[in-house]
Amino acid sequence: MPDLLECQRDLADALCDGRESARAARWLAGDTLLNERRLAIYRTNVAAAATKALGAAYPVIQQVVGNMLFDELAREYQSRAPSSSGDLHEFGSTFAEFVGQGNVARSLPYLGDLARLEWAVHRAYGAADADLFDAPALAELPAHRQSTIRFAWAAGTTLIASPFPIVQIWRIHQVDFDGEFGVDWSAGEVALVAREGLRVAVHAIGAGDAAFIASSIGGSTLDAAAERALADDPGCALARLLQHLMTTNVICGFNDEEGPME
Amino acid sequence: MAMTTISESAVGIGLRQPHYREVFERRPALGFLEVHSENFFLDGGASMHALERARSAYPISLHGVGLSLGSADTLAERHLAKLQRLVERIEPDLVSEHLAWGSVGGRHFNDLLPMPLTHEALALLSARVDRVQSVLKRPILIENVSAYVAYIDGDMSETTFLAELAQRTGCGLLLDLNNLYVNAVNFGFDPFAGLTDLAPTTIGEIHLAGHTRTDVGLIDTHGTRVCDDVWSLYDDACRRFGPRPTLIEWDTDLPTLDVLLGEAATAASMVARCEEAAHA
Repeated sequence: MPDLLECQRDLADALCDGRESARAARWLAGDTLLNERRLAIYRTNVAAAATKALGAAYPVIQQVVGNMLFDELAREYQSRAPSSSGDLHEFGSTFAEFVGQGNVARSLPYLGDLARLEWAVHRAYGAADADLFDAPALAELPAHRQSTIRFAWAAGTTLIASPFPIVQIWRIHQVDFDGEFGVDWSAGEVALVAREGLRVAVHAIGAGDAAFIASSIGGSTLDAAAERALADDPGCALARLLQHLMTTNVICGFNDEEGPME
Repeated sequence: MAMTTISESAVGIGLRQPHYREVFERRPALGFLEVHSENFFLDGGASMHALERARSAYPISLHGVGLSLGSADTLAERHLAKLQRLVERIEPDLVSEHLAWGSVGGRHFNDLLPMPLTHEALALLSARVDRVQSVLKRPILIENVSAYVAYIDGDMSETTFLAELAQRTGCGLLLDLNNLYVNAVNFGFDPFAGLTDLAPTTIGEIHLAGHTRTDVGLIDTHGTRVCDDVWSLYDDACRRFGPRPTLIEWDTDLPTLDVLLGEAATAASMVARCEEAAHA
């Protein structure tokens, strides 16, 4: 397809950069000036679609920086890391690095971590539905075998550690938020992003809980993960966290070494 | 999952997220629902559940916007595999894509860019449609797109191109009357004449939508009501092809569900009139 390929490359260049439309013009019929204005319609559409997709994945970043700055960021990001998929839900996977390193981050240093949190939420939204956790099966295991089980985690479960209170910031920007509009800036937070049923839940968790989850997701046994948790936070009480994660099926199965993964 | 089948006189609407809840609560009498395939390239979650719920109550049409069938360099096999997985999961009544390209050299514009209407492009599209139909193990529908630029090279009209594509591949056509009208105005041809190129048996679905008038031409926004001229085209298409599954397509500035249902009711009354006339 030599002609067609060349034609599409020339048009692509013209859509990326308005100054590159001379080579595209030779493929187009009709008035050159009118064609230039009509190519601009496509340019606008392309930018708008990408910006809309980014806004859908990063609604809190959009609120924090405002629509005008967000549109500018989106345009710049699009030129640096253009969409490579026909599925725009995949667009924006590196936006957190982009905003975290950009000029805006100088005045809003938490922006990169907040964006990482939003991308995790975006991914968790469409992650596979988790199996129901079989609590009776766990209870039936003899105690010595319980300590060596490895948990299976719901798809999309992600930890994001930040020196900034990213969960509080995220939460006050949710449409259904009805609490106090205040953020305690004195400490950072670790966010746990996980699908609880069809809902994507975001929790701020303690250092010990975070160490447990990271270790367990990494493949450690229950005992080994609990040890890591106590090493990071000697006072941490894992029971409440585990209870919550099992009833919400964020922990959705276990492997007791001798048996198959449930 | 309850099996549903689309009827020739079915009128449907595009199901968009802000209307999920209301559609499930009210269960409006619609002949089918259409969704964008790419919104469900997901492993699970709330959107997937909504689509499965919709599938149990209505015939479903999966309308793809991102496969970029006309890309000269390569067909996106990963995208096609995701579509295949969705088709196997939902078992839709209709699967459609566009006579368009959207990417080249790994960069995606996520837009429906028009193809030159050449023999070269026809050969490419025929091979691509063959490939998609063999992966999906079913015929698909190909839709005509709106265009703002036309190519110097052209061996045939868009409707002739589509008729030839259908004949070569066995695909059906999704005739978007708004797109046909937008192009007719932007490039100065008679949209009614285009309909005569198409064999009735190839028309698998009709799209109706709105556009915006600007000083550089009509822009296909899918953000307004269907205009009178497009309704006239629809009336002509109904007489010419008989009733075909018809969709009210609305993507930007989404109105209330009742506005969409109103447009669907208008289409349904035109189908009914046309059926009465055929039986008289």
